[in-house]
Amino acid sequence: MDLHLSPEQTLLVESARSFLSRVWSLERTRAIEASPSGFDRHLWLQMAELGWLGIALPQGFGGSEQTFLEATLLLEEMGRALLPSPFVPCVVVAAPLVQALGSAEQQRRWLPLIAAGRAIATLALVEPGWRDEWRRPEVRALREGTRLRLRGRKCFVPYAESADLTIVAVTIEGEGPSVLAIDREIPGCSYSRLDTFGGEPQFDMEFDVAVPATTLLGKPGEAGAEIDNACQRAMVASLAFMVGASERVLEMTVEYAKTRSQFGRPIGSFQAVAHRCVDMRSDIDALRYLVYQAAWNIASGKVDALEVAAAKAYGNEALRRIYMNAHQVHGAIGFSMEYDLQLFTRRAKAVELQWGSTSFHLERVAARMGLE
Amino acid sequence: MDFAFTPEEERFRQELKEFLRRELPEWWRGMFVHDDRVFPQTRRFCQELAERGWLTMAWPPEHGGQNASVWKQAILREEMWAHEEPRGPQYMNLNYIGPCIMRYGTEEQKRRFLPPMAKGTVIWTQGFSEPEAGSDLASVRTRAEEVADGFVVNGQKIWSSYADAPADWCFLLVRTDPSAPKHRGLSVLLVDMRTPGITVRPIDSMAGPHELNEIFFDDVKVPRNCLLGEKNRGWEIVTAGLAFERAGIARYARAGRVIELLTEYVQQTHCDGQPLAANLDVRRKLAELRVRYEAARLLNYRAISLQARGQVPVVEASIARLHNTQLEQLVGHVGMEILGLGGLLTHADPQAPLSGSVYRQWVRNIPTTIAAGTLEIQKNIIAAQGLGLPRQR
Repeated sequence: MDLHLSPEQTLLVESARSFLSRVWSLERTRAIEASPSGFDRHLWLQMAELGWLGIALPQGFGGSEQTFLEATLLLEEMGRALLPSPFVPCVVVAAPLVQALGSAEQQRRWLPLIAAGRAIATLALVEPGWRDEWRRPEVRALREGTRLRLRGRKCFVPYAESADLTIVAVTIEGEGPSVLAIDREIPGCSYSRLDTFGGEPQFDMEFDVAVPATTLLGKPGEAGAEIDNACQRAMVASLAFMVGASERVLEMTVEYAKTRSQFGRPIGSFQAVAHRCVDMRSDIDALRYLVYQAAWNIASGKVDALEVAAAKAYGNEALRRIYMNAHQVHGAIGFSMEYDLQLFTRRAKAVELQWGSTSFHLERVAARMGLE
Repeated sequence: MDFAFTPEEERFRQELKEFLRRELPEWWRGMFVHDDRVFPQTRRFCQELAERGWLTMAWPPEHGGQNASVWKQAILREEMWAHEEPRGPQYMNLNYIGPCIMRYGTEEQKRRFLPPMAKGTVIWTQGFSEPEAGSDLASVRTRAEEVADGFVVNGQKIWSSYADAPADWCFLLVRTDPSAPKHRGLSVLLVDMRTPGITVRPIDSMAGPHELNEIFFDDVKVPRNCLLGEKNRGWEIVTAGLAFERAGIARYARAGRVIELLTEYVQQTHCDGQPLAANLDVRRKLAELRVRYEAARLLNYRAISLQARGQVPVVEASIARLHNTQLEQLVGHVGMEILGLGGLLTHADPQAPLSGSVYRQWVRNIPTTIAAGTLEIQKNIIAAQGLGLPRQR
């Protein structure tokens, strides 16, 4: 047992922090949120050069051969910088799906491109009417000779318009949950951007297309477990982003409490205000170690562990408390668009709403406690 | 980062569990019960631990220890607290009284006071709070006047744990310089409880007997060689001691044990033809406890990781304590809710579910956010030392 980062991990964190503080700012976050692609392609290529985009991939694919834990440490730093990018859908979700399910040829085709920053990948999973948890896809794929006819609608697909590779979760008639790797070149998918507040571009996708059966990733009907694994990775990764973001928000909040004066003294000298800051500290610390523990479990192959679900069950509630405390300490100014707090608050709510509600994850915890 | 114990540490935990199964009598319900067998049992138990080298395993060999790792020590604490602290009052010797003597004591004091602790034959109480000095501990008024061969103590202490055990010694915070600013006129004396002029009055609490006492000092003579550390530097010793104490109780482990007991209970108890474990509300509430247990355990492990590197966690210990204490209270409340009316039965009633564990969890934790520095005092420490906010008033 040791909750310290290793010297290599510390170095990774420090270099990521110094790089991001040099190249990124909250003004850039505002500008990029308003842009069509929702991320900075130039910076994306720099991240590839740093080895971030292939962080957990084998060297043979241009990867850095680190683990999921190192990916979460990077995400914490991206959260601190509030850097919008397709890192979670592309690096955390899609690349490992290709790695786990894809044929040697599919791996060779996509993984080096992803690691090099030259292909963006995403996952089309959610369907209209789903609340939060992943379930059996209703988008069907029907066999038509050597082709699969894909019809239906997916929603909340992140960065879909920029994606060179879209992994689509479908049910193949008579065979069960499967995933298809759909190339940008294949016509018959239409996109429309959703008007969301979360700070990352999300799309509706309509499919009416016949694709070669060779687009299947892995055996038909056997993708269920890997889709679930991908959701758990995405969940922990998004939380790690919010740990970094929340640490930054705590710094802003404490600074405000020290400098804002009312009744002739800094508001941070009032216990009622100071204790809200302490509650933020306490929630962020708990969330950070729950996230590390979850990431460590995932990196050790225990994606299904109680400890993984525990992170989101705590995280959802903690994020609400952290951000409402930050707003309460800031008073009216925190509600204005010109002040930076709103950038973080919107993202926190988006993370809460993705990858499983509190009750969904509490139910997973209960099942793993043996409560059947 | 590594979130697993080593195989050797896991073996040690198993060994401890087997030892506890063998050594703890069926009637053991922790300290605060009306039962004359309790104190002799804790003495026997500590001597058994001492014989195996486990009582002070983390201490250096010259003081009767084995230099065991802080993680083994943590495992020991977890198993002890999970079993309602069968060391009884002596856990305090290991947690902070011994370490304070090691850190601030003279060679003579170390030779005199540490070996009996290592052998498990001595009981200490603490004299910190006074009727007029609770959260504002530095305002204590119990006076130690310097005389030719030592000090003469007059005053009153309150909420002293186990003083009626009877305790052999008292770790006593006194005022030695009334003219100095309040934090700078304090000292710590190590007082023989058999000295003439000392009276102990037990205070029965909601938790039961033994926990709380008043101690009156009436012209009590304390020799000079019983002053710990420098005169008028006692505040430093007491704050270090309290930080050791906060990091030194594995409260989450007891909460975790009660969660396990409740999990078994809802699997075995049927309501409307279904196990309680199938009830959605019950499942969610137990899962919520388990999640909070994970958070508390990890924050304790963070503090221990710092200790493993030779650092003294202060802010981290306070944050861990916030989670520990609130978890312990929540487990008591939710546990009672799950038991329903059965929760009203005390451990004295043979029908009490889970031998009254949940009742004890609830009642013993009412003051958990008060003892060793209230929740609010912990938050003040974190605000000032962790966040750099202005001093709180």
